[in-house]
Amino acid sequence: MTKCLHCEANLDVNQQDFCCLGCEQAFNIINQNGFENYYKSRVLNPLETKLKPDSDINFNPQELVTFDEISKNYRLDLMIHGLHCGACVWLIENLLKKQNHIKQARVNLTQKTIQICWQGTIEDVHKIIKLVLDLGYKLFPIDLETIREFENRFDNTIFKALAVAGFGAGNIMLFSFALWFDTKLEISGATRKFLHLLSSLIALPVLIYSGRIFFISALQSIKARMPNMDIAISIAIFLASIVSLMQTFRGGEVIYFDSAVMLVFFLLIGRYLDLKARKKAFDIASRFSLIQTGFARLLYGSSSGFSNSLVPIKKLKKNDIILVASGEKIACDGVVIEGESKIDNSLITGESSPEKTSTNSQVFGGSINIESPIKVKITKTYAEGLLSQIISLINNIQYKKNIYIRIADQFSKYYTPAVHILAFITFCVWYFIAQSHWDYALMNATAVLIITCPCALALAIPITQTITIGNFLKHGIIFKNGDALEKINKIDCIVLDKTGTLTLGQPILKKVLKIANKQLLELDIEDQALVTKIASTLAQYSKHPLSQALSNASDQHFEVNKINEIKGEGIEGVINNKIAKLGSSEFCKINTKENLTKENLIFIEQAMNDCNSNLRCFLKFDDLEIIFLFGDSLKEGALDMINYFQKIDKKIILLSGDYENEVKKIAKTLNIKNFYWQKNPLQKAEILQQLRNQNISFAMVGDGLNDAPSLALSNVSISFSKAVDISQNIADIVISSSKLNPLIFIFKYSQKSLRVMKQNLALALIYNIIAVPFAMMGFVVPLLAAIAMSSSSLLVMINSLKMNSLKKI
Amino acid sequence: MTVLLFLIPITLLLSLGGLIAFMWCVKNKQYDDLDGASNRILFEDKINEKTKK
Repeated sequence: MTKCLHCEANLDVNQQDFCCLGCEQAFNIINQNGFENYYKSRVLNPLETKLKPDSDINFNPQELVTFDEISKNYRLDLMIHGLHCGACVWLIENLLKKQNHIKQARVNLTQKTIQICWQGTIEDVHKIIKLVLDLGYKLFPIDLETIREFENRFDNTIFKALAVAGFGAGNIMLFSFALWFDTKLEISGATRKFLHLLSSLIALPVLIYSGRIFFISALQSIKARMPNMDIAISIAIFLASIVSLMQTFRGGEVIYFDSAVMLVFFLLIGRYLDLKARKKAFDIASRFSLIQTGFARLLYGSSSGFSNSLVPIKKLKKNDIILVASGEKIACDGVVIEGESKIDNSLITGESSPEKTSTNSQVFGGSINIESPIKVKITKTYAEGLLSQIISLINNIQYKKNIYIRIADQFSKYYTPAVHILAFITFCVWYFIAQSHWDYALMNATAVLIITCPCALALAIPITQTITIGNFLKHGIIFKNGDALEKINKIDCIVLDKTGTLTLGQPILKKVLKIANKQLLELDIEDQALVTKIASTLAQYSKHPLSQALSNASDQHFEVNKINEIKGEGIEGVINNKIAKLGSSEFCKINTKENLTKENLIFIEQAMNDCNSNLRCFLKFDDLEIIFLFGDSLKEGALDMINYFQKIDKKIILLSGDYENEVKKIAKTLNIKNFYWQKNPLQKAEILQQLRNQNISFAMVGDGLNDAPSLALSNVSISFSKAVDISQNIADIVISSSKLNPLIFIFKYSQKSLRVMKQNLALALIYNIIAVPFAMMGFVVPLLAAIAMSSSSLLVMINSLKMNSLKKI
Repeated sequence: MTVLLFLIPITLLLSLGGLIAFMWCVKNKQYDDLDGASNRILFEDKINEKTKK
């Protein structure tokens, strides 16, 4: 089976080297410009969009161009799909840079965006875009709101603070090294004072700049009356600075600047790791949120004498008339005023069987028009439509959701006061009982605070979570944040959607039967392949879901002439000089009353029941009369997954929008006892709200828009990467596989990660119990503090490395 | 020990320079796309000059 040289799609028998003219053209462009090394170097990712040139963009790039007064350049930023690896970056950037008027072309592989600057006219943008589209990449307008939200959430404050803290820690330690090993105080007073002064000069600005993050968070937590670790950290830093400053000016022996700065450095590493993991997940998930930046083709509008132009969906008004071509998404809720077609409502209901629509039927924004173009008159703007209502419902739920207190904060609720009390006791004992000078007492109290500072704690959890999330990512499972990792260990119940979650969500060919002599007969393998090939040749030319199923059923196709699709009925064509018809029984002239008796109709029903099918179509080729049976089928791993969760005593609930029969069948196959059918999104949410009221924590697994409110309500939400954009955005965990085994892996590996987190907490506690008595007795000199801090952090890091081994999973 | 009076300021100035350079890089968004940067340098000289027209 040869593949297209450019996009690597499978080639038909009569095609040579390329699957289409677009690919051939792309290949020529690449070779003529000297970039043929692209093909050798690239690594195609099967999960990414195929590189077949399809130069239909549904937006006007000219509207997005900006002009920079200073450099006199035009600039355009777009999102790009189809990037796989460095070779793509190289190809696009260099091809663009070769054009004379383009001054800058930069691809951001992380965010999958492209930035082009050029000099010339604004109309040049169309030629420039065409270059990229001709290579096979898809371009989309950037959702500025997403980018802005991204920049606000993940700004570089922590990164910069980390850099400064590192600078400070390294330089101060340079001086401290000399002082640490000077146990007999041989360094002269003047030199000592000089070094102390230098340390303080470096430490104070660094502590203020880098420690700012902790101080602000501590103040906020005091206001919210929810003590967190940052209060302890801030107090420690503050006291250590004061004590050390006093020692510096009095010519004292030891200062603790190095410990304080090192502490801040380690803590910031923990914070940064945490942030980076969340940033990566956000990157991946938000790439798919293009649902709000679509455009629609306006025919007549109240807005301003446009006719037949592309208008952003948000600007559509009531009574505007839009044209929805076949295969396009319907922009807003409305009424069909012209045309007859079939609509795919899977976004809303989750069911992909198309519904017929004709004049005066109502359609909803977000559904897809399958068959033929229709004109729709808008009845509700985007903001008022069903889609928006569901989105607001989701936002409301998320806002009221209980704030989950992370394991680290739970621990520190007890830890922090305990540490403060110990420090206070130390001070009192030294000052009152041992009658020492008050600053010596204070120094010992500070030592206690420093040595018990949650350095290991603050590193233990983020490191474990970062390694775990990173490993999940390698298996195609995206965890949006560490919370999900902790929460998933506490759920009692799993709620599953049916279509698209437990099942593939699309019809596939189940059985092929021949109608002959008034009976249904099975075919042998070669004949089956032959008739499937004929049917799939015809099916390529239709967008009906059953046609998709048929085209996928056969790799090879015949040559066909005189293809003619009759909407709503079927397709006919001429293959090998014989007429072939694919479609309903009336269309194929397979008269069921003549050829099939009543008993045989029952046979058909029986056959459909046996192979779990609910859709069918017919083929007539010459004298052959064939019936194809289709149905949805369970995803791989479904039964294993259910068995596993039942084994570990988790309750399983099946929540579906589909009909009773279908839901019952699946529940029986999988042995699920609790199931609901024909529930719309709001009803699903109500059922789950009841679970919440009973204080049962549950994980919801779903994919369609009808699952989105349920996903928002659940303690942990899981979705799939082929799912609707919103579900991916809300879900805590996204699985990029079409099997269900990853769910088992998620559970087992998360449990291991929780175990390791608890081990790390225990290690941190043990180290503290050993170290605190020494500190209270005044034995902890800065050198010991530094060693203790580093070794405890190291110990915790090494223990977390266990997450990399997948033994016991 | 007076040599310290020269060495220490020099050390500090050098590392301060490094820190400032780092801050400038962060501001210039050079750290935003680490994947692209690492891939871009691997392809520096792969343009085939001969087949260019």
